[in-house]
Order: sequence, then C-alpha cells, then structure tokens
Amino acid sequence: MTHCKKILSSSAAALAALALSVNAAHAACASDYLPASNDRPGGFPKRALTMIVPYGPAGGSAQVSQAMAQAVTELTGATINRDHKPGGSGAVGMTAFMAAPTDGYTVLQHIDDASSAHARDSSQPNPARDLIPLVTSQITFSQIYIRAEDERFNDWNSFVEWVKNQDGQATIANVSKEGSMERVSMKLITDATGMRIQQISFDKPGQRYGALVGGQVDALFEQPGDVRKFLDAGTFKPILTLLKDAPSAFAGVPGLREAGLDFEPLFRFRGFFTHKDAPEDRVRWLRWAFQKAYCRESYQAFNETKYMTLIESFRDTPGTRKLISKTIDQYRTVYKQMGLDVK
Amino acid sequence: MEFFANFAGGTAALFGDPVGVLVFAGGVLGGMLFGAIPGVSMLTLAAILLPFTAHLSPAHGIMLFSVIYCTGVYGGAITAILFNIPGAPENAPTAFDGYAMTRNGQAGKAVGAAVMCSALGGVVSALVMMAATAPIAAWAISAFGPPEIFALVFFGLTVAASIGADNIWKGWLSILAGLAIATAGLDPVGGIARYDFGMPYLLAGIHFIPVILGFFAVSEIFIQAEKKSRGAYRAPELSVNFPTLAELLAHKIAVARSVIIGFFCGILPGIGATLAAFMGYNEAVRWSKRREEFGRGKLEGVIASETANNAATGAAMIPLLALGLPGGALTAMMVGVFQMHNMEPGPLVFINSADLVWVVFAAMFFANLSILFIGYLETKTIINLLRIPFQFLAPVILLLATVGAYAVRGLTLDVIAMFAAGVAGFFLRRSGYSVAGIVLGLILGKIGEQVFAQSMQMLHFEWSGFLGRPIALALIIAAFLTLITSVYRGLGKWRESARHV
Repeated sequence: MTHCKKILSSSAAALAALALSVNAAHAACASDYLPASNDRPGGFPKRALTMIVPYGPAGGSAQVSQAMAQAVTELTGATINRDHKPGGSGAVGMTAFMAAPTDGYTVLQHIDDASSAHARDSSQPNPARDLIPLVTSQITFSQIYIRAEDERFNDWNSFVEWVKNQDGQATIANVSKEGSMERVSMKLITDATGMRIQQISFDKPGQRYGALVGGQVDALFEQPGDVRKFLDAGTFKPILTLLKDAPSAFAGVPGLREAGLDFEPLFRFRGFFTHKDAPEDRVRWLRWAFQKAYCRESYQAFNETKYMTLIESFRDTPGTRKLISKTIDQYRTVYKQMGLDVK
Repeated sequence: MEFFANFAGGTAALFGDPVGVLVFAGGVLGGMLFGAIPGVSMLTLAAILLPFTAHLSPAHGIMLFSVIYCTGVYGGAITAILFNIPGAPENAPTAFDGYAMTRNGQAGKAVGAAVMCSALGGVVSALVMMAATAPIAAWAISAFGPPEIFALVFFGLTVAASIGADNIWKGWLSILAGLAIATAGLDPVGGIARYDFGMPYLLAGIHFIPVILGFFAVSEIFIQAEKKSRGAYRAPELSVNFPTLAELLAHKIAVARSVIIGFFCGILPGIGATLAAFMGYNEAVRWSKRREEFGRGKLEGVIASETANNAATGAAMIPLLALGLPGGALTAMMVGVFQMHNMEPGPLVFINSADLVWVVFAAMFFANLSILFIGYLETKTIINLLRIPFQFLAPVILLLATVGAYAVRGLTLDVIAMFAAGVAGFFLRRSGYSVAGIVLGLILGKIGEQVFAQSMQMLHFEWSGFLGRPIALALIIAAFLTLITSVYRGLGKWRESARHV
C-alpha cells in the first residue's frame, strides 16, 4: 500500500520527468480547456453509439473501453454499446469498423497494434490517415521484471551478465508475435546489450505472469499497469524501464540512459477513432465528448489504477496522429533491420 | 479449527445480510438460466452485470460472479441432455450420452445425474479450495509449464480417438479433422496468417462454439427432420425418474476420478472446465469394460463429464485468488470486479480482505449445494419441454443456436461455420465418424499448438527436453501406451471383420 501511495503521489513529478510532446495544456487535466458542454449537432447522437472493441471482453482494451464509455455517458448522456470483435490481433475489429456506416455512430477502440500492422503492410489502414483519432487515452511504457526473490540476479546489470553466461538458454515471457511492440523492443534491447535470450510467447496474460511466478521463465516483458498487483504484493521486481529516464515512481529502476541503452523506446497506447468520412460536425462533437470525458473523475481514477498517470496519456487528434506516424516510422526502421518483409 | 471458524464466519456474513442473500439467490438463478440457454451464457450475464458490480460491496460483487460461475457451468447440461445443445462448451461431452439417454426415454435419469454430480463435483472442489488454496496454486504453476500442459493435451487426444466413432481409424480421422480446423487463423506464436483465403474475418480462426452448436444441435435437427420426412421420427419418451442411490454408488469410482481430473484441469490457467469435462469423459471411456456403450446413452458418461466440469470451478478460483492469475474468461472478468473496488486478486487479498475471501468461499459452497435442490425441482418440470412437438421445437432450437453462434464474437462467419458444421455433421454421423472427436480436436488443437510452440521455445527446440521433465514424461508415456493399445485393438477388430467377410 505504501508503494501504491508513493507511486500515485509521485505521478505529477513523473510527468515533468518526461520529455514527451503534449499538445494540450494540462494544469489539472489535459482537456480542461475544452468547454464544459457542447450542443449536439442536429440532435446527434439520436440513438446509442457503437464502440467496436477488437479484443475480448476481459482484457485491457475491454477495461479502457468500458471506462471511456462510462465517462462519455456521464458527460453527455449518450449511450454507448460496446461490440467486441476479437481475433487476428485486432484485424477483425478493424475490418468490421471499416465496413460500418460512416455516419459517426460507430467508434473504434484500438491499440498500437493497428500502427504496427500498417507499418508491416501498408495495405492495412493507417490509423493516423485513414481514420480520425478522437483521443488517445492511455500511453504507457514497458519494463523488464524478475521474481523479487530470485537469487541469481537482482538488478539489470547482474541480469544481463547472468543471461550472457547462459549461452542463449535464458528465457523471457512476452507476447512475441512477429512485428509486435514487444518483439521489436526486445530486438532493440538484445542488440544494444549483446545478450541472447529466448522469447516465449504467451498470449494470455494469466499464463504469462504465471510463467514468471512459477519459475517457468527467467524474466517478463510487460507494462507496469498490467502487473501492478504483483508489484504491490512484492512478487515481481522491475529491473529496467523502457524510457529514456525512469519516472520517479520507479526511481530505483534504471531507464535506458542509465542502463547505457541507446534507442528510442516504443510505447503501448490505446485510443478511440471514428471514420474519415463521418460528417464533420459529428466528428467535432465526438472529439469534444471523448477528449472531455478523459478528464472525468471516473476515467482519471481508472487510469491511475493502471499506472497511466506516470506519463501523460492524453493526446488530442493532431497529437495522436503525430504519435502514430512516429511509431510507424520507428517500426519500419526496425523491421528492415530485422529482415522482415515490409510491404 | 481455524478452517471451520473462517467458514462459519463467511457463512454468517453471507446469510446474515439481506443484500448478500439477494445477490446470492440472483446469481444462482441467473447462472442456471443463462447457462441453460444456448445463445447466451454465463459470460453474457457476467458482461452485463460487470458495470453494476461497482454499486455492490466488493464481497457481494465478487461473490455474485463466483456463484454465477458455479451454477452457469451446471445450467448448460440441461439443454445438452434434452436437446443436444450444450449451453456451454464444457457441457458438450454431457450431450454425448445425455442426449442419447433422452432419446432412450431416460431424460429424467440423465438430468438427475447431472444435478447430483454437478453439485458433488462443485462441493468437493469448493472444500479443497477452502482448505488449501495457496499451497495448491504455488505447486500447480511451478510444476505445470507449457511442456506438461502439452503432454496433457497429447494424452487427451490419444484417449479421445475411441469416443463416438465406429472404429479407431474413423476416430483418429475425426480428431485429425478437428486439429486441421484449429489451424485456421493467425498462428498463436508468430501471428502468421493461415488459411484465411484473403478474408480478414478468417484471421480470427474457427471458434469451437459455433462448431459445437453445428455438429450437435443443427445436425440433430437435420437428422430428426429427415426421419420425420420418411415417417421414422419417434418423440422421446418422458420420464422424471431420478437415478437411484445404488446407480450412483455404482459409479463412485468414476465420480472420484472426475473430481480429481476436474480439479486438476481447473487449476491450470487457460485450461479450465472445458478440458476438464472432456478429460473426465475420456477417462471414463478408457477405464470402462464396456466402452462401446459410451455415446449410446450410458449414465456414466453424464456423470463423468458433469462431475469434472463443476469440479473445475472451485479449482479455477485458486490461481485467481492466490496468485491473481485468471484461468479463463469469467475469472478474468472477476479481476475487473476486484479492480472496480480498487482491489487486486492475489496474495494480498488473503491478508487485506480475508473476510471477503471467506464470504466468496462460503457462497461457492452453498451455490453448489443449491444446484442439488433447485436442480431437483427443475428435473420435475423442465423436461416437460420435451412434450413440445418437433415441428415447433426445431425452429426454436435453430434460432437459439444461430443467436448463440453469432453472440460468441459478433461475426456472421460463425453462423456460416455453424451451419456448415451442421451439414457436415449430418453426413459424418451417418458415416460413423465422431463429431465429438472433431470438436475435441478443434479445442485441444488450439490449446495444444500454443503450448507446443511455447514448449519448444522453452526447451530450445530440443525434443529431448520433454524427457527431462518427469510429469511431462509420465504423461507422454501414458499417451503412447494408449496409442499403442488403441491401434492394437483397432487392428484386432479389423482382422475380425475381415475374417467375417
């Protein structure tokens, strides 16, 4: 609990520690500058909005969608039905969204997978260009975790040394699908350190975390919000933060600069989109509703429980476009280095 | 003594609070109802209720979900037995013999056995959960990694070849067909697209629920419709007889075996009640002296499946509560309930919220007991649905199955897959192939491929690595022995039939 409080109280300091570009002023909250209310254009929405969620009803995307839908409803009174369309690493949901009427009644929740999919295959929709970003509401960084009681290593340096001595036999759990943020980040880490480590892909979070708790793997690649309970319980210990400089909440954990790793970190981000061809006045209203809802107390409380306040999670439409375009460029560069087929 | 004091405290907190009693009763009835209706499931109910749990106390919110879990797993057995429509995948093996019993005029006996065994499996599982959650969870996740789970899946596949097919060869072909279907979509490790034929929706793969609904419910409608068209249709006889105590006692070993199997499968994250039910059924077949009677209305088939799937419910709570590791979709939603109250399941729950944990334990225990009483009443009433004439019942079943297939992922592809499986099932069942084998191949194929790939990565692509892990080795040896025995038996039968020819 003390650890928890320390992290929450230090989030403001952590914000300052990061040199991420933020498009909106945020004295108290990023979208406070927006008007408190906004007239509905022509009475829009006259019926419930549909939010397509390209992942199952029990994961991180489901939770952020539920929290955002609740906040928008609190703010505007508009009802939002969530329609989960899991499969194909988000491709099924994206296809269903692209096939939906472009009347502004359908909204898509998506994560950075959409950006990496486009980076790999440009025939896939580019979320920055082919969709209109309403808001990015979660941005987080990754960390490397070990078991807290592991006696073989206890920090990043001793871990790297131990891995190098294992001659490629050391293992790390992640979601290492071809071209994923996790695999690309691990490529950057292994290139920078010269260590060889076997990545084990666990699709389900429970299995991934269980693999580290049960000693089936030596380390875990994950985002702090997803393993918060293990950090609070003292089961996992972070040994590397994939940010240039670690936020003060993780002051004892080296960032990339301190660890001597010279690369740009990739982020996990989740946001909401509408169709490019949706009526302009409706898009304007949706932007206002989703960006304003980001600052609702209920949504902020949700983001805090997920460590999403350690770095600024808010991006408005231009900010999201910039984030996505930069990410796509980064992915493409690394894909080429990895020898992957970039279409 | 501490155990009894904690349990008494949990029980008092549960029934001493009118809101708690209401939530408990709502969960029991809601779980049974949503579990029984194909098209909706306990997951549907849980998803609907999730936002509302924010307005309940943490203990009531988490208790509601755990009660729904227990009774939802049981609820799907009723439609599996009466109409060959498993309410949930974990009830699919129940339909193998349960529906055959209904056709044989023993619906009451089958439903009665499902009621009693679901309650028994669930109660025993809840008791073990209460007694030793933390040590069991710690043992399970350290002893069972991907290689062990792969060996378990492999073992399950070798046993399944003898279920429901005319001969072992058709059994194996059925399983291989299921394994082949499981490969459609993105591969579980590299994310490489397979058999998508340029259609993005196929990237999601073929889900096993529409396939189950197609092979069981839709093909059954086709078969009965065909019989009706040539005047050979025979409505099932009604019977409300419960199985006798002697009949149940005669299956005590099957019950004990299924409790152990169900509990064991339930503990493993990502495995859960579905594999538990299939493994329980498989083992009942394997150890039976009259294995040819399975699939034709054998009481032991219903007992084995229903005991195992409910035994998995309490076990699935163990990794969730002790380690914060959800084993399936419903337990993952329970994490959401915890988080709505600014809590996280895991070791700290036992320290910070021990009262809550014992309310949940007590609720699961009593939810399983209530299956017994409500199920008894249900048996006397619900089987009267069989009185509905086929021409009215068939469209309703088709409608429910269609809704059920679509509801899984909101994809029309799943409805198409269901009808395709229905047509395929119509012909395959007449040709002596095992639709149960195809379904099991599909379910185990998806799990098995993933854990196999993880195992190979962990073992640095050395096959011999399996031999260095005692549990995996034992399961692989058991699998090969089963394989050799079944091939030997298959050859014997083939020679015998050749001699007759």
